[in-house]
Amino acid sequence: MSDLVLEGVSKSFGGLRAVADVSFSVKAGRIFGLIGPNGAGKTTVFNLVTGVYKHDVGSIRFGSTNLLPLAPAKVAEVGIARTFQNIRLFTQLTVLENLLVACELQKRAHLAAAFFRTKVHYEDEELMHHRAMELLEVFGLQDAADEPSTSLPYGNQRRLEIARAMMLKPKLLLLDEPAAGMNYGEAEGLKTQIRWLRDKFDLTVVLVEHNMQVVMGVCEEIHVLDHGETIAHGTPAEVQNHPKVLAAYLGGDDDDDDDDEAGKAPPGAEAKKTGPASTATAKDAGSEP
Amino acid sequence: MMPASGKGVASVGKKAREPSKRGWAFAAAALVVVVVLELGLERMIPDSSIRQLLMLAACNVLVALSLNVINGMAGQFSIGHAGFVGLGAYTSAVVSAHLHEAMGGGEVTFAKSFVVVPIALLASAVVAGTFGYLVGLPSLRLKGDYLAIVTLGFAEIFRLLIATAQLGEKETIGEAAAKIGKDGVVGPFFHMLQVGITSLGGQNGYAGPKNQGLPLYAGPFWVFGLALVLGVLAYRLKFSGWGRALRALREDEIAAAAVGVDPTRYKVRSFVIAAVGAGIAGGLMAMNRDGTPTVQPDNYNFQASFDAITMVILGGSGSVTGAAIGGVLITFTVKAIEAVQSTRVVQDLKSSVPWLDLNALRMMLYAAVLIALMIWRPEGLLGERELFQKQKLRPLKLPKPSPDHPKPDEPDRAPAAAANEPAKPVVAAADEPAKSDGDEPEKGAPP
Amino acid sequence: MVAVPDNQAAGASRARLLRLGAMALGLLLFIYVARSVGPQKLGETLVTGLTQGAMIALVALGYTMVYGVLKLINFAHSEVFMMGAYVGVFVLGAIGIANPLLSFVCTIVVAIIGSSLLGITVERIAYRPLRGRGRGALVRVTPLVTALGVSVLLQNAAQLFFSARYRSYPQLITGSMDIPGVGPVGKSRVIILVVAVLVMIGLELIVKKTWFGKAMRALSSNEEAARLMGVRTSWVISSTFALGSSLAAVGAVLFCIDQSSVYPTMGTAIGTRAFVAAVLGGIGSIPGAMLGGLLLGVLGELVKLSSYSGSIDAPVFVVLIAVLLVRPAGLLGSNRAEKV
Repeated sequence: MSDLVLEGVSKSFGGLRAVADVSFSVKAGRIFGLIGPNGAGKTTVFNLVTGVYKHDVGSIRFGSTNLLPLAPAKVAEVGIARTFQNIRLFTQLTVLENLLVACELQKRAHLAAAFFRTKVHYEDEELMHHRAMELLEVFGLQDAADEPSTSLPYGNQRRLEIARAMMLKPKLLLLDEPAAGMNYGEAEGLKTQIRWLRDKFDLTVVLVEHNMQVVMGVCEEIHVLDHGETIAHGTPAEVQNHPKVLAAYLGGDDDDDDDDEAGKAPPGAEAKKTGPASTATAKDAGSEP
Repeated sequence: MMPASGKGVASVGKKAREPSKRGWAFAAAALVVVVVLELGLERMIPDSSIRQLLMLAACNVLVALSLNVINGMAGQFSIGHAGFVGLGAYTSAVVSAHLHEAMGGGEVTFAKSFVVVPIALLASAVVAGTFGYLVGLPSLRLKGDYLAIVTLGFAEIFRLLIATAQLGEKETIGEAAAKIGKDGVVGPFFHMLQVGITSLGGQNGYAGPKNQGLPLYAGPFWVFGLALVLGVLAYRLKFSGWGRALRALREDEIAAAAVGVDPTRYKVRSFVIAAVGAGIAGGLMAMNRDGTPTVQPDNYNFQASFDAITMVILGGSGSVTGAAIGGVLITFTVKAIEAVQSTRVVQDLKSSVPWLDLNALRMMLYAAVLIALMIWRPEGLLGERELFQKQKLRPLKLPKPSPDHPKPDEPDRAPAAAANEPAKPVVAAADEPAKSDGDEPEKGAPP
Repeated sequence: MVAVPDNQAAGASRARLLRLGAMALGLLLFIYVARSVGPQKLGETLVTGLTQGAMIALVALGYTMVYGVLKLINFAHSEVFMMGAYVGVFVLGAIGIANPLLSFVCTIVVAIIGSSLLGITVERIAYRPLRGRGRGALVRVTPLVTALGVSVLLQNAAQLFFSARYRSYPQLITGSMDIPGVGPVGKSRVIILVVAVLVMIGLELIVKKTWFGKAMRALSSNEEAARLMGVRTSWVISSTFALGSSLAAVGAVLFCIDQSSVYPTMGTAIGTRAFVAAVLGGIGSIPGAMLGGLLLGVLGELVKLSSYSGSIDAPVFVVLIAVLLVRPAGLLGSNRAEKV
């Protein structure tokens, strides 16, 4: 298993330092939260990890692989999948096709096989269809498989994006605000689902999220950024009571109810849910306040 | 686990390959048809201009099909496709003419064409493909509009180099070659290049090494046969994972890259594929049995590129059958207008209305149709659909893996087995939060 | 932390090195050419080149401004240029050249009006319906195809209505004047250069000082925000087309004074070069178009000095592709990264 390690990573856009000397490491198999107020540089960190942007200094490694020189497609090849803050589905492709695009890397059949329709081509297609349908069932989207992806309701589009990322068979899943726009119930479902995915596929999950109900409920370790700099790191309980975090969030005007939620919502709802869940979540339950 | 999956897939695979038996029958029938056409087209259609039109249509279909790979499927915008066609035409012309000489000249026969045509077309494909790679490479760095400019630049450079490289008064190639190195400013390499290009005949066109006309080896067998074969290949390309990836790339490059579709590789390859197709089309045009025995640079000018774009857009960008329809339609209108132009009525009309330029009128009409299409139906006639779209990408309801061959250690299977449990909380929201009672996915294999 | 400036400095110094290298290479080439042709010929070549370049730059500005506000390569711009030239020919034919200065001014004014109207019409009919279509596969290609279509339409319309023959332009300005250090130069050349430079200065003032210029720049950097701030986008876009077309008309009249013939495909011939100049300088950048135009003009004249006898467009395109490969956004253009 591989850890994701960031050391002294900085990134500037013109004069703006979006990420400044950020270091953290994500142990394999963890569900790791990356939080902070708007503009804290969370998404930029994702973009740096996935090669969309190149960082100025520092190092980003995944296991033994240095991610710096890799283009986004190569990062995907290493086993890092992501979702996007603004949903980026292939709008003219169907739900199923959206998933199928993501398995190009795993195909044995190459271009010539497609031209000459060899046995390998058919086997590949069948195999990938199986996998895609199975993943769609996991996310409850199987009935929409042949619908255009834009016809899905918003929450399902988010789920489809996660399903598409899972199609890569990733070792590390980066989720950028997966709960955005979800209601309480949907967010609860998402929590269960993230945990289940991690256990089932031996994933490492890094989560950027504003919804504290989700962050505090599912993350085992949290890293807090503000204005591109690290202000706190620790378990949800530690982070929640960290003075700098409180300052950062309460200093902002509209984020305080998030904190309330973080304080109130999870304990009750969470204990009930994580209790009967699979063995790995015992850890979470322990870490709950 | 591999044998299990292999077995499972084999059973579906057999089903999937079932149509290919019909495919063989289809191929055999097509073969018979093209051979019959090869031997009997002259008798069926005595008018050589109509034969030429039919064959030209087939060649143009190939041009449209290949441009469709870049402009339609990959969503790039090439406005210099005629450059690749021209490269192919010139390459085939040179190769076939020299091969013909080497084989002792004489009659152009169907038997000999089995030597000449494949070699010439292969050369065309390689040359055009190489240039396609070189032109596609900038797509590493250039986005949309700039790429269009590079393609235009390439096509113009190609055409202008050939068209303007003309021998001096009564100068032979040998004399020109003797001047190599004597001319101060231009280095020997460039001079050699210039002499080489000059031997292609400049503005007047290339008509073989001794200017006696090109040997026209590509009969209906080759033209229609290759049009069919390449059409099928284009279709297969579209309905493969590769075509899907191209479509995804066209929609959203960043998201495609994030799931492992390398934009550069896919784009460059699509460029190469398109260039190869165009090269073959050009080669067939140059060797077209009922065509003119020369190739001329002006056949591959910007207007030709524009025609190619019109073919693709009119039929529906991204649609293989659409591109084919577009190719046929455009070819026939061009010829129809030429035919109309030579009729008595129009000739008379022209003598009274001297400014009437039907070709200009045709281009105006095309342009107007194109603009109107862009405004009201930007996806073209067919859009991305196909005329005969029976090939579903997937059976509508996936056959559930039968319980009689369980695959306990097959990694791809397990999630589905356990899927129902975690999926439910998602759908049914939080009121029944942890209904994952059967939460041991490991033994959650099919009963 | 300290390493950040270092890193940026490294990037900057590499860019500087690259620029210096390119300049040195250009200088060497220039010296080589200068030595082989002699100073007299060189001066003449430079003046001719700059004249050509100034006209090319005028046309290139139209491409670049429209690209700035619409992100569209307006292929039809070269035909607007051509139509401007025709309007000029007809006006001159109508009023005669008894008074050269008056004729010159009249011609330019009428050509400007005609071209602007054409530019605005093209925008209204062909481009406006395409605006505001969302993200998707066809959104990028559709405007390009439309622009190509308009270009082909106008060119063939000219062919149809004005016939394909070359029309000669009356000689408005004759004689030559002596410029110290260069020798005798045709008067028309001098006038062309002066007018072109004046027009470019005027443009710079419009873009930098007027409300319209501000609105145009705002639109080009962020259409949505500009609209929210009360910029009437449609009006600004129309005006941009009018302004760009006017510049093309000025360029067309000047070109005709210099080359003294008008024909339907002149748009393709000159327009292509102008378009290349705009891309070379960095499409969307106004100083870039000026620089690109001047560079191309001089380059074209220098090429004529060599033993290369073919069309000048081939080396022009070679230079363009070479520059694009090194600087994908052109010489003065900027590359904006897409927000993820």
